[in-house]
Amino acid sequence: MRPARAAPGSIQRSWAHALRQELFGSPADSLISVLLISTIIAAAFSLVRWALGQAQWAVIQANTTLFAVGRYPVQQQWRLWLLLVLVAALSGLSWGLLRAYPRADRSGQLWPFNDRLAVGLLGFLAAWLPAALALGFPLQWRWCGITALLVAMRWLAGHWGRSWPPGLVKLIPVIWPLLYLFGMVLIAGGLGLPRVSPSEWGGLLLTLLMASFAILLSFPIGVVVALGRRSQLPLLRWSSVLYIEFIRGAPLITLLFLGQNILGYMLPGGWAPDRVWRAAWVLTFFCGAYLAEAVRAGLSAVPPGQLEAARSLGLTMPQALQRVVLPQALRIALPAAVGQFISLLQDTTLLSLIGLLDLLGTARTVMANPEFLGKNAEVYLTLAVLFWCCCAALGLGSRALERRLDPTHSPA
Amino acid sequence: MTATSQLMIEARGVQKWYPNGFHALRGVDLCVSKGEVVVIMGPSGSGKSTFIRTFNALEEFQEGSISVDGIALSNDLRNIDAIRCDTGMVFQQFNLFPHLTVLENLTLAPVVVRKRRRGDVEAQAMALLERVGIAEQARKYPGQLSGGQQQRVAIARSLCMEPRILLFDEPTSALDPEMVGEVLEVMRDLAADGMTMVVVTHEMGFAREVAHRVVLMSEGQIVEEAPPTVFFTNPRHERSRQFLAQIL
Repeated sequence: MRPARAAPGSIQRSWAHALRQELFGSPADSLISVLLISTIIAAAFSLVRWALGQAQWAVIQANTTLFAVGRYPVQQQWRLWLLLVLVAALSGLSWGLLRAYPRADRSGQLWPFNDRLAVGLLGFLAAWLPAALALGFPLQWRWCGITALLVAMRWLAGHWGRSWPPGLVKLIPVIWPLLYLFGMVLIAGGLGLPRVSPSEWGGLLLTLLMASFAILLSFPIGVVVALGRRSQLPLLRWSSVLYIEFIRGAPLITLLFLGQNILGYMLPGGWAPDRVWRAAWVLTFFCGAYLAEAVRAGLSAVPPGQLEAARSLGLTMPQALQRVVLPQALRIALPAAVGQFISLLQDTTLLSLIGLLDLLGTARTVMANPEFLGKNAEVYLTLAVLFWCCCAALGLGSRALERRLDPTHSPA
Repeated sequence: MTATSQLMIEARGVQKWYPNGFHALRGVDLCVSKGEVVVIMGPSGSGKSTFIRTFNALEEFQEGSISVDGIALSNDLRNIDAIRCDTGMVFQQFNLFPHLTVLENLTLAPVVVRKRRRGDVEAQAMALLERVGIAEQARKYPGQLSGGQQQRVAIARSLCMEPRILLFDEPTSALDPEMVGEVLEVMRDLAADGMTMVVVTHEMGFAREVAHRVVLMSEGQIVEEAPPTVFFTNPRHERSRQFLAQIL
C-alpha cells in the first residue's frame, strides 16, 4: 500500500507557514523584511548582470593553465593529468566503498541525498566549466572523462564493493599515502622522470600541494605534541608547551619570513633545499601547534574511565591510546581540526607575500600584465569562488565523516 | 573457602596517601581464596573503591604488599599487565567504549592483548552475550542500550578475557532501581559458577545470599570481617552496628 500523499505537502505547508511567521509576523517585521529582501535581490541582480554582461572573462580564459599549474613545463603536464586520473579513480573507489559498507548497526539508502547532490554538481561542473573557460575540445573531453571515471568507480564500488575480497578493501587507506608519495614523484620528478623544480610549480597546484602537505604532516605532529603536553614526563611536557606557545605567539607571515632565513640552518640538508619547501615546513609546524591544542581539547573530553577500562582489560598504554582514547578524542577534535585546515588552506595565500606563485601570487602577476590591466574584479571573484569550493569540499567531507563516526546520531 | 584453597588475592598492610596528603588506606589486610565471593561495604570515603583499585594497579599504594594470583604487584610494568589480563574489573559507570559496537567492546582486548583470532573471539563473545542475555544487541552501540544492559555488556567484556578474578566497583550504584536486579542476577550466576569475586556494593540482599564473607571498611581500615549471617545479625563492632543501622 502506498503511504498517504498528504505527508510531504503538509510538511511544505508548515515550512511556508514558519517562513511567513518569521518574515511577516507583524507590520514592522514585514517592512524590514521587504526592505532587506529587495536590497539583497537588487545587489545579487547587479552582480549577475555584471558577471554576465560587463565583466570580461578573457583574463581568466587566457590564463587558465597559469592559474591551474603555474609555469609547469608544458611537455611534462601529462604527469599532472595522470595524477588527476589516479586521484579521481581512487576517490571514486573510496567513496563507493564507504557507502557499500554502512555502519554496523544500521542499513539505509546506498546513496544518501547529499551524495546525489554532489554527483550532480560534479557533472554540471565537468560539462559547464571547460566550456565557460573556452578550453579546447580535447581538454573538455579530458575533464568529462575524469569526472566520468570518478562517478563510475564510485558506482562500481558502491554496488559490488561488498563482494570484493576484504584484503583489497583494507588496502585503500594504505594506497592513499602511497598515491601521495607517487604524486610527489610525478610532480617533482625522479624515478626516471625529468626533474621539475619547485620554482616552476604554481597556481592551484602549488596551493593544494602546500595545503595537503601541511595538513598531512601536521596531523601526526599535533597528536604527538598534544599527548606530550599531557604527559607526566616533565621534559616532554615542557618542550611541547614551549613549541605550542612559540608558534602561537607569532603571526604566520613572520614565521614564513623567518623560515625563509633560518630553516636552512635548522633542518638537515636536503629537507628544505629551496623556498617552496621551507615555506611548506613552516606551514606544517604552524598548523601542528594549533592542531595540538584541538587534539588536547579532544583528549580532555574523553572521560578518564575510558583509559581505566582499557588498562584494566590488559591493554598497554600505546594500545589503549590507539584503540580507545584517540579514536574518541580525534572525533571530538575533528570540527576544530577541520576549521584549522580550512584556515590553513586560506593562509597559503600568504605565500604570495614571500614571492611564491600560489593562486594569489599567480593572480597578482596576471593582473600586473598590461594586457589585463583593470581586470581585478574578475580575477578576485574567480579566486574567491575557487577557494570557496575547496573549503566547502573540506567542510562537507568533515561533516560526513563526523556523522559517520558519531555512534549516537543518525547516518548521513 | 576451605583453609587449604589457593590464595587469589593477598594484601598485607596496604597504605596509601593521595598526593594532597589524604591518608586513604591505613594498613589494610585482606586475603581472598579461589572461588570466594567477598563483599566490601562501608560509608563513602572509607577507601573501599580505592582498595580494590589497588588490586589491578589502577591506584598506586606506598606501603605494604599485594599479590594477585601469585604475582606480586610491583612497579614492573610486565607484572602489572599480566595481573590486569587475569583480573577483570566492572565499573560503576560501565566505561564501555562508545565508539565500538557491543561485540567489538568484547573482542577488542582478546584480539589486541591475547593476539587471538577474531573469528574465535567473536564466537566466544556471542556465547557470553547469550549468557548475560543480550546477544540480540551485539551490533548496536553502547549508547543505544539501557544502563542495565550496558553493565551486563561490561561484565561480558571482562569475562571475554577469561579472568581468574573479577572486581566489581559499585556495579549497581549508577543504575535505575528497576535495572539493578538484572545485573545482580548475572553476578549471582557467576558466583555460582565458582568465579572469585570482590564486590564493593551496598546491595544487602546480594551480600546476604551470595557472599562468603562481608568486609566493612571505615576511614581506610577494615573494621569487621565476617560471614554474612554473622555480619548482618550479630556484628561484633559498634561501628558495624552503626553502619547497619543507617542502611537497613
